[in-house]
Amino acid sequence: MISRREMLKSAAGTAALHTLLRADEGAAAVPDFKPSAKRVIYLFQSGAPSQIDLFDYKPALEKMRAKDLPDSIRQGQRLTGMTATQTSFPVAPSLFQFAQYGKSGAWVSDLMPHTSRVVDDLCFIRSMNTEQINHDPAITFCQTGFQLAGRPSIGSWLAYGLGSENKELPAFVVMISQGSGNLSDQPLYDRLWGSGFLPSRYQGVKFRAATDPVLFLSNPPGIDGATRRRYLDDLGALNAINQNEYNDPEIAARTSQYEMAFRMQSSVPELTDLSKEPPSTFDLYGPESRRPGTFAANCLLARRLAERGVRFIQLFHRGWDQHTNLPKQIRGQARDTDQASAALVQDLKQRGLLDDTLVVWGGEFGRTVYSQGKLTADDYGRDHHPRCFTIWMTGGGVKRGLIHGETDEFSYNITRDPVDVHDLHATILRTLGLDHTKLTFKFSGRHFRLTDVKGRVVNEVLSA
Amino acid sequence: MARAASFGFLVATVAAAQTVDFNREIRPIFSDRCYTCHGPAQSTRRSPLRFDTEEGAKQKLGNNFAIVPGEPANSELIRRITAPSNSSMRMPPASAGPALNEKEVDLLRRWIAQGAGWEKHWSFIPVKPVSAPPVREVAWVRTPIDSFILARLEKDRLSHAPEASKETLLRRVSFDLTGIPPTPAEVDAFVKDGSPNPYEAVVDRLLASPRFGERMAIRWLDAARYADTNGYQTDAERYMWRWRDWVIGAFNSNMPYDRFTVEQLAGDLLPNPTLDQKIATGFNRNHRGNGEGGIVPEEYAVEYVVDRVDTTSTVFLGLTAGCARCHDHKYDPIAQKEYYQLYAFFNNLPERGNAHKYGNSPPLIAAPTPSQQRELQALEARVTAAKARFDALRPDADAGLRAWEKEVPPGTQWFSSRALVGAWTQESAPGDVASFGFLDKFTIAARVNPAGPDGAIVTRAKDEPEGAGYSVVLAGSKVQANFVLRWLDDAVRVETRDAIPLNQWTHIAVTYDGSRYASGVHIYVNGADQALKVHVDYMNQDFRSKEPLRIAAGLGTRFIGKVDGVRIYGVSLPAEEIGALAVTESLDAISAIPQATRSVAQQNKLRRAWLDQFAPEHVQSAWKRSLDVSEERERFAAALPTVMVMEELAAPRDAFILQRGSYERPGAKVNRNVPAALPPLPAGAERNRLTFARWLVDPANPLTARVAVNRFWQMYFGTGIVKTAEDFGSQGEWPSHPELLDWLAGEFVRSGWDVKALQKTIVMSATYRQASKASAEAAERDPENRLLSHAARFRLPAEMVRDQALLASGLLAERLGGPSVKPYQPAGLWKELSGGEDYKQDSGENLYRRSLYTFWKRAAPPPMMANFDAAGREACMVRENRTNTPLQALDLMNDVTFVEASRRIAERMMTEGGASAAQRVAFGFRLVMSRGLNGAEAALFANAFRYNLERFQTDAAAAARLVAQGESVRNAQLDVPELAAYTTVASLMLNLDEAVTRQ
Repeated sequence: MISRREMLKSAAGTAALHTLLRADEGAAAVPDFKPSAKRVIYLFQSGAPSQIDLFDYKPALEKMRAKDLPDSIRQGQRLTGMTATQTSFPVAPSLFQFAQYGKSGAWVSDLMPHTSRVVDDLCFIRSMNTEQINHDPAITFCQTGFQLAGRPSIGSWLAYGLGSENKELPAFVVMISQGSGNLSDQPLYDRLWGSGFLPSRYQGVKFRAATDPVLFLSNPPGIDGATRRRYLDDLGALNAINQNEYNDPEIAARTSQYEMAFRMQSSVPELTDLSKEPPSTFDLYGPESRRPGTFAANCLLARRLAERGVRFIQLFHRGWDQHTNLPKQIRGQARDTDQASAALVQDLKQRGLLDDTLVVWGGEFGRTVYSQGKLTADDYGRDHHPRCFTIWMTGGGVKRGLIHGETDEFSYNITRDPVDVHDLHATILRTLGLDHTKLTFKFSGRHFRLTDVKGRVVNEVLSA
Repeated sequence: MARAASFGFLVATVAAAQTVDFNREIRPIFSDRCYTCHGPAQSTRRSPLRFDTEEGAKQKLGNNFAIVPGEPANSELIRRITAPSNSSMRMPPASAGPALNEKEVDLLRRWIAQGAGWEKHWSFIPVKPVSAPPVREVAWVRTPIDSFILARLEKDRLSHAPEASKETLLRRVSFDLTGIPPTPAEVDAFVKDGSPNPYEAVVDRLLASPRFGERMAIRWLDAARYADTNGYQTDAERYMWRWRDWVIGAFNSNMPYDRFTVEQLAGDLLPNPTLDQKIATGFNRNHRGNGEGGIVPEEYAVEYVVDRVDTTSTVFLGLTAGCARCHDHKYDPIAQKEYYQLYAFFNNLPERGNAHKYGNSPPLIAAPTPSQQRELQALEARVTAAKARFDALRPDADAGLRAWEKEVPPGTQWFSSRALVGAWTQESAPGDVASFGFLDKFTIAARVNPAGPDGAIVTRAKDEPEGAGYSVVLAGSKVQANFVLRWLDDAVRVETRDAIPLNQWTHIAVTYDGSRYASGVHIYVNGADQALKVHVDYMNQDFRSKEPLRIAAGLGTRFIGKVDGVRIYGVSLPAEEIGALAVTESLDAISAIPQATRSVAQQNKLRRAWLDQFAPEHVQSAWKRSLDVSEERERFAAALPTVMVMEELAAPRDAFILQRGSYERPGAKVNRNVPAALPPLPAGAERNRLTFARWLVDPANPLTARVAVNRFWQMYFGTGIVKTAEDFGSQGEWPSHPELLDWLAGEFVRSGWDVKALQKTIVMSATYRQASKASAEAAERDPENRLLSHAARFRLPAEMVRDQALLASGLLAERLGGPSVKPYQPAGLWKELSGGEDYKQDSGENLYRRSLYTFWKRAAPPPMMANFDAAGREACMVRENRTNTPLQALDLMNDVTFVEASRRIAERMMTEGGASAAQRVAFGFRLVMSRGLNGAEAALFANAFRYNLERFQTDAAAAARLVAQGESVRNAQLDVPELAAYTTVASLMLNLDEAVTRQ
């Protein structure tokens, strides 16, 4: 099997000009299917949100409060070293109140009042599951389809497969925010948006809430835009002399990269400058959206990136690792994310962008129904739980107002329609018109895929 | 397909009329299109038909033969691959990929017509002696390399390029051999050198430079996945730089490659291994180590071994053995069982799957640098001398002690107060003292008289059950020590097997040695070291607590009974001292006991007390001196750098086939061995890592030398003779010059694996010395330049981009080795990923060290290095990646590293470059580009300088801001607007394509 990209390259018969922002790449790539989405916004909830306290309502748990989780449910499933030696597994029902919302009647807890108002636009998958039980391998698995470092991330696969639709911005942008729930929570790693064995021009570019949203974006103090412009003209002229000398297309390519860098110097600040957004925008996304670097501000930027055709926009919000003190911590996390996530959906919808933008909200695994550490009337913790968790998706060809999959009364095992991480990846690629078995890259003698040797498109959640 | 895209294009045009080469043309088709179902992997083979072996491909199946030699029309293979795509006959089936194209079908047809000859995969055939082929243009040939290259060029009717200019050649070879460009003076000397062999003299000079070792080490660090952090989750610091320095030293001393290999894989198993040979084995401890709380240790113990096998296979054998972890290799002859036979060589060290979150994980050794070794020796000598001085006083001292015993005043008590943190009783409220953490050594001693079986004795921990901190408690009448960050998964708990009696006084003591293991804890009862029961042995993070020290209280309990004589020491006391501490009798009481009936501990206490307080001044001071010097030595030894190493368990650990590669599914047990497709291990040799390492470098091994020379080759030509340097298997790319590869491999082995000689052979060739300009014809017919009709032209590696700016600016601080350094990096990059500590940028010289010394955090690699395609150091990487991105442009223009370097170059232009602007610009250009300016360039630079000067003269404040960048002090003598203008010009130079390109 030959990757589409390899095929295109050889068909064109040209040595590829290496660029980060090649707008032509997307145009050149012929999709396998008619795409229902042009871009993806992935709101990654790092640390693993508790499905039991947010979306997977289990009223029967109240009767089981503090009783040991039956062995028939646990089925000898492997536990993390954090609770493996625990002598009892007391069932901890959620402290939060659930209600049904919208026409779809989706259950959502009172931690998510804004999300509950947009449920008819969302597709909940309650039957997500993963193979990994610890953060590093699990989040690496979610991002790259493999639990160990070294493979390309979803965004870099897409940048490689589809290229960019924008000549002034990267195809793959990443933004990070710190949750208020758990300040010392799980770290992230650059490899989560790395390109693995794909050429490094496909790696995610981090947009930061700093003076330089992109590293080294600003000219040094004392150099203004006009000076830089003349500098680049000279650079181009000098490189052209060498071009004549060496006949090497890489020289012209380098000059053009400098021109793109120059365009980024204006396009990125224009993008991150929220001063022209009307007050209604900030009302929609919430007051936190005025504070750079928050999840809310990043959601607003995500919409602006989507408007500009950036292919893959990924937010990482840290702080969801509630081993102890869950009720207090998760309130902070929900406050950070609820309004802005719902606002993004509404905002994309009102701008007509939701139809071709896929939005995904979710973490790397779920959390246990039993309490880690002491269960009291108003406190508990939850350990990692790979067997089920809930995510939601919307836009870009996803059925709205749908609830897919089901778990048992303990939110422990999946009882219907399991969806694993490879399936999710296959489905994301499918919405973009890509066959996950055909998007390959040959490395170390193997044609690698994002979905490794697995993955099934979850057609049930797709409208097309 | 990618294979056919360019270089293969040439091959195809000339091959049309020739004999089909099985290995070059047929095996790749079988491998890529058929092996998945008809290849080496038994589990996925759909029928007995297989195309990886001759018997398998030519056997009778039903009424047919897939291949009938000489008769393509009767060969089922041809029928199948030409069947219509909607037919069930069609191979490969539509689900497995598109049909074979015409060219492929034609090749197969011709190959069968020509008799369907078969060969072993080329890289598994031993290296045979090859002689250089004849060429027409004999005069061009400088070394046999050139004959191989030229013969191929002549065959394909491509002409070679002329020799590069002297400036270009010197710049090229300086980068290639040392990673650093030449200075203008070196350029001048070379250009003017009228001696017979000026180029050879340069090559010899560069090979002898210590920079050579640094340059060669850079790529080896990529291959060996070297980094300064542990790589998982918290990604805290580790210390492997002593291994890195070993690599630099090995290249500089021209260690033969066979020794280089053996010492890194099995230096510890050599007879009487030296410290250096042990340090060398750090190679296979550079893999990442997982210290995340809650992992299943067995899972990661497997991953570490897998990493060693995969890295070792890639680096030395050029084989993707890792593919056989979960199933038989789909393309190469490595069965899953054989994978685990290799695995068995590397699973036998005393390590745990849960690595330490912070620092190095066992097995590790102290690895003093040569100067520290000298200092340590000097300290040892001082210890010996001090002991000797004290021993010399001994006869007198013993007599003195015996005399003093007779007159000890009644009631004289003594306990050692060396390293004493404090002494308390039950009523004390000691407060914020004895704050110890997981890397500290300490001792807690007390006398207890319990009235009940449970209760806290000494704690510095949260006052709740299983509270975080350290504690010594009585639990069911056993003495228990706890070191807890988070109960159960981040804690050590040990307790005595035997109970202590109720209602009587017992002396207890707990010592901890800072090792983070239960084995580092001792509990003594009445001075006797106790047998312990280990309840939990998983200490990962620091247990240091903010709670006060509590006596007879803590963990939510109170001691029932009496506690007295609490003494805490900031050292882990040896048994002898604990013994003395447990003696409660006063000194006069002991002396009243006849010497023959005193216990050893009593006698010890008496003697130590006398030496400490009552002996004559000169005896006391000699005693204290010997203790002081010993302690100094201990402190020095404890602070020495360590390095993780390989170490063999005495009793070999079993290895099993892991089904689907999973630690949870062990299958059949396997013994150590090498794959059957390769030469066997020597009969009778012990099956261990050392034998394996020696087998690798046995000249009979068909892969090791080929893989090594190919990796060196790609440093000089951008691409290896085998482009897939990591894969010499059937999915790897066919060598562009197979005979040349074998010639180089043969020479390498014959030379005694002489690494420097190999580099010299390559760079002395006419092939290497060509200009890098592509002719129009070459650009069209061989755009990847696989035939080397001209020299390679490619972007410098990240390290060299930065190092050359530092050199040109005069900032480069050259010093071999040492701990990794933290040069400029935008603030916040570490913190925003973890919420934890941020990068702490160094200052002074450490900002300007060569880039191979830059601190490599795996979770957040140095951004400049990442922008310029440096390998990620998560896993082995033997091929360089080169891209061309706007982020590189932003970095080179705006990163303070390059802005400061530009300003320093500007200062040099103004102070060393001459009087006129033109001279100064020319001087700066030579600093950066190692050549003179041409007219067109001079005019452009002159203009650039002029308008920048005008602008900065109008806006002096802007000029002042620009020249203030960087930590190095600006030359205050120089006119600021002028300096700013030259700074901009220098930056322009550093940003030119030529500056970042080796051409």
